[in-house]
Amino acid sequence: MALLIVYPAALSVFDTLTATSADGSTRFTLESYVTFFQLPDALPNLWFTLRITVVTVTILFALCFPIAYYLRFSTSQLSVPVRFLALFPMFVPGIVTAFALIRFLGDNGWIENILFSLTGWEGWVSPIAKPQGIVIGLVWEGVPVTVLVLTAGLSQVPNHLIESARDVGANGRQVFFRIIFPQIRRSVMIVLTLNFLGVFGAFTIPLLLGGASPQMYGHYMANRLYGIGQYTHAQTAAVIMFLISAAVGTLYVRSVVNQRMEKGE
Amino acid sequence: MAAQAPSLWTTFRRNTIRSFAAMLRQRWFGISMLLLLAAFILGPMLNVLVWAFTDARIQPPRLVPEQWSLKWWGETFTRLDVAGGFMTSVGISLTVTLVAALICLPASYAFARMKFRGRTPFLLSFLMVNAFPRFGIYITIAVVFFRLGLVGTVPGVVLIQLVNTLLFMIWIPTAAFQGVDRSLEEAALDAGASPLRVFVQITLPMVLPALSASLLLTFVGTFYETQGALLIGIPNVKTLPVVIITLINHHIRQLGAVLSVALWVPSLVLLIFAQRVLRGGTLAAGFGL
Repeated sequence: MALLIVYPAALSVFDTLTATSADGSTRFTLESYVTFFQLPDALPNLWFTLRITVVTVTILFALCFPIAYYLRFSTSQLSVPVRFLALFPMFVPGIVTAFALIRFLGDNGWIENILFSLTGWEGWVSPIAKPQGIVIGLVWEGVPVTVLVLTAGLSQVPNHLIESARDVGANGRQVFFRIIFPQIRRSVMIVLTLNFLGVFGAFTIPLLLGGASPQMYGHYMANRLYGIGQYTHAQTAAVIMFLISAAVGTLYVRSVVNQRMEKGE
Repeated sequence: MAAQAPSLWTTFRRNTIRSFAAMLRQRWFGISMLLLLAAFILGPMLNVLVWAFTDARIQPPRLVPEQWSLKWWGETFTRLDVAGGFMTSVGISLTVTLVAALICLPASYAFARMKFRGRTPFLLSFLMVNAFPRFGIYITIAVVFFRLGLVGTVPGVVLIQLVNTLLFMIWIPTAAFQGVDRSLEEAALDAGASPLRVFVQITLPMVLPALSASLLLTFVGTFYETQGALLIGIPNVKTLPVVIITLINHHIRQLGAVLSVALWVPSLVLLIFAQRVLRGGTLAAGFGL
């Protein structure tokens, strides 16, 4: 574990903070960061990555919370196919997702053809190779984990608690905000942080569904890594990524720890 | 205080409101959600499915081909790059699963059963994989592998894919071992069974579903893993997903379509088998719940 994650990460931090002087000694310097941010695309790509991340995480939560809520409280037979569909993308490789979405949403895909056949509308603009394409792809991939974690969180809310609240006259909104929400706060936190980190560090979908510029950081770092003599840039980008996500990562770990302590670990 | 029976009117009103809410939840809400999900999740998959079974291009605005054909299935799988990629993927996935099992299963037994110092911090350290952006970790590993000459080699790909599997292979089995009722084991020991026999005949059968689920998830997850394999494998080691990337913009769309279907149909089958495990919350343990 230490060998595979801590050592490489620490090495990158060390590499990017030092330089070798002419006499062979190592000294501390911020040069690689200065050079990195002087690259014309470093900052725009960073903003782009953060924007895509926030938008995707928000859409995922708004889309998946009702699904998880339904799965938790519905007794209908419909919940079986709903659960099945929501979990299906979990086992579909990113490359297949990308290929399928290009066929489905791209030029002459089903969406364009269906809209044309039904309404005669020819204005469909393919989202592929645009920021929208990345968001759609990442949402598609993120549904299973989001639904899974939220459903697990909701299932920890005991039925009798909700029923007794109803018995004393709480309305739906009160039940939700006073009873259910406090109990699932941690799962919500876990899912938001997990999705943030997942989207922030995504590679396959941005590579295949995004445009050439601006690029998300995963895509950008990979390009830098194979550019000749540029892998310090890739390392610098990775360290910047770690710094930005450190706060989110800490929140994630803390939520998990608290969650487990409550369960009596 | 004695519970007071609610009046007839209260019961009636509450049931009406409740059943109305329930109807809304179950009928319209459920059906529209199902349709939306089906369109969003299944639509792209079915679109690719029709592409995999046609000989010529589908002429817009048609949705399905005029003539169905199996021609490209043979053509695709006899391609050298596809066959080679398949064999590479199988080999690497088996190796990763085996190595992960050898490292993680004994470790998870220890985590579940023994109280040693630093147990909790050590267990939590595996969360680090989730707590950092995955691709950032891969980049820093790639730099190390560059220096060690591991880029473009099978051991390099195996190592980077192990990172992916550790959390699942530790946390799910640990939760399973913790769930075993110790009194059953003690009873068997009291009755004179050897510790080995207790493990094989009592403990193992109870954790087997979770263990096989985590093994299966590791194998499939590794088989489908793309980014690590692409980053470390190039230019020599090409797993099946990496081969598909090179075919994604191929002018013959059926090649990519056939391979996509060949990969998503098994995922569907897997999901059907994994339903029970997924419902039990076993998988959620892999995300720290």
